[in-house]
Amino acid sequence: MSAGRTFLIVGAAIGLACASAIIVVAIAKLRRGRVAARSRAMLAPYRHSLITMVSGEDDDGQAREALSAVPAPIWVCLRPSVVAFLPKVRGLPADNLGELMRAHGEIDEATRRLTSRSAVRRARAAYLLGLVRDPASAALVLPLLSDHVADVRLVAARALGTIGDPAAASGILDALRTQNGQIGLPAWVAAEALLAMGPGIGPVLQIGLASKDPAVRNVCAKVAGHGTYLSTVPQLRVLLATDSDGDVRVSSAVALGRVGGAHDAAILLRHTDASEPTVLRRTCATALGDLGQRESLEALAGLLADDDRRLAERAADSLVRIGTEGIARLREAAVTTPQGPSARAAGCALELAGLRGQLAVSLTGS
Amino acid sequence: MTETVKTRIVVADDDLDILDLVVFKLNQAGFDTVAVTDGVAALAAIEAEPTRLAILDIMMPGLSGLDVLRNLRANEATKGLDVILLTARARDADVDTGFATGANDYVIKPFSPRELLHRVNAVLARGDR
Repeated sequence: MSAGRTFLIVGAAIGLACASAIIVVAIAKLRRGRVAARSRAMLAPYRHSLITMVSGEDDDGQAREALSAVPAPIWVCLRPSVVAFLPKVRGLPADNLGELMRAHGEIDEATRRLTSRSAVRRARAAYLLGLVRDPASAALVLPLLSDHVADVRLVAARALGTIGDPAAASGILDALRTQNGQIGLPAWVAAEALLAMGPGIGPVLQIGLASKDPAVRNVCAKVAGHGTYLSTVPQLRVLLATDSDGDVRVSSAVALGRVGGAHDAAILLRHTDASEPTVLRRTCATALGDLGQRESLEALAGLLADDDRRLAERAADSLVRIGTEGIARLREAAVTTPQGPSARAAGCALELAGLRGQLAVSLTGS
Repeated sequence: MTETVKTRIVVADDDLDILDLVVFKLNQAGFDTVAVTDGVAALAAIEAEPTRLAILDIMMPGLSGLDVLRNLRANEATKGLDVILLTARARDADVDTGFATGANDYVIKPFSPRELLHRVNAVLARGDR
């Protein structure tokens, strides 16, 4: 067989395969479109009831009643729309959606599936119970924090965060620990879940800050700062000064910058000393800007000439954020020794502040 | 007989569930609503007829809600339009950016439709003062 003929046959085969693939895709799209159109037509009468219920306009409960009574084949089509609304609304409409799910046996089914042999089913069940946000589900989801599959633990933690029951907070902290060589929850997942639980977790954070496990102390310090838990401030001061773990000290410094008071400026300043670890010095310089106390102006201006140029940049940025007086210090440093390291850090910070429009603001407010 | 002119509100969101929900809630409250699914259509709808308020999602295809807001504030004819941002972006920095760009209010998803209606009325009342 000649080479030309072989190419011709191979080319024809490839062309045929491509044409077949295009036909298959077109048929699949057509079928999907038809199914979607049929589904939309079937749901049309119920869509109005769903929107009425979710909007909070179902004062007489008729919409909810109608949706609770839909037969199983229609519920199968309607369910995705109901589930899709769950993370989008809160308050009474969300409660009504949860009750609708319960009326169709979804909550019972999800509860059963929490102990399924399939990790995917366990995770999906926890996810659904999280979406419904029924506080009674927290105790049911909690055991999944020690599931042997990492993804299931992760979904369970997020679900508990969404449910928002502070009673589950200590379970989240326990799940951070590495057990039998398995890393527990990732720190950021635990922190997000705890933050979602709101102010009720204050006492649990205080216990966590005194934990023997540095991973737990670190997460608690982060959450304390981001969630503005003022009751943790005394412990944060101690951890910043004495903790054996560098990450915990850094997280405590960040948190103090966010929730500390005027006298925490001196504490943070102490930890910008050259004898402290570089990361901690830089973090404290930034935290001083967050704190925004004029007591730190002098020391921050002094850091502009530090050998660690990153630290100097952060000090300059903090001076900008403190406001008019901080900016005045930077202008002073920029003109006093124009060629010196202080002037470079100050000039750069002033330029960036100008681009951000912060200099105009500083003229009107401190 | 005089016909009462309804307050016109443009609602822009690429999530059809949210769009249907907000439009239904506002229509029930007696507003005249226009629903669009992207930023370009939102600008066109606002410029087409006198509009009192726009409710904008931030993350939309094409022009984002913030882009639409910047356009509105830069245009002499629309710079006074009341705007509420309705978005899932809940970080403090996002809220700061929304207000700094010129939003009159900022509502975070998941939201309460009832609360949204109160905020619409409050923003409109402030504008009438």
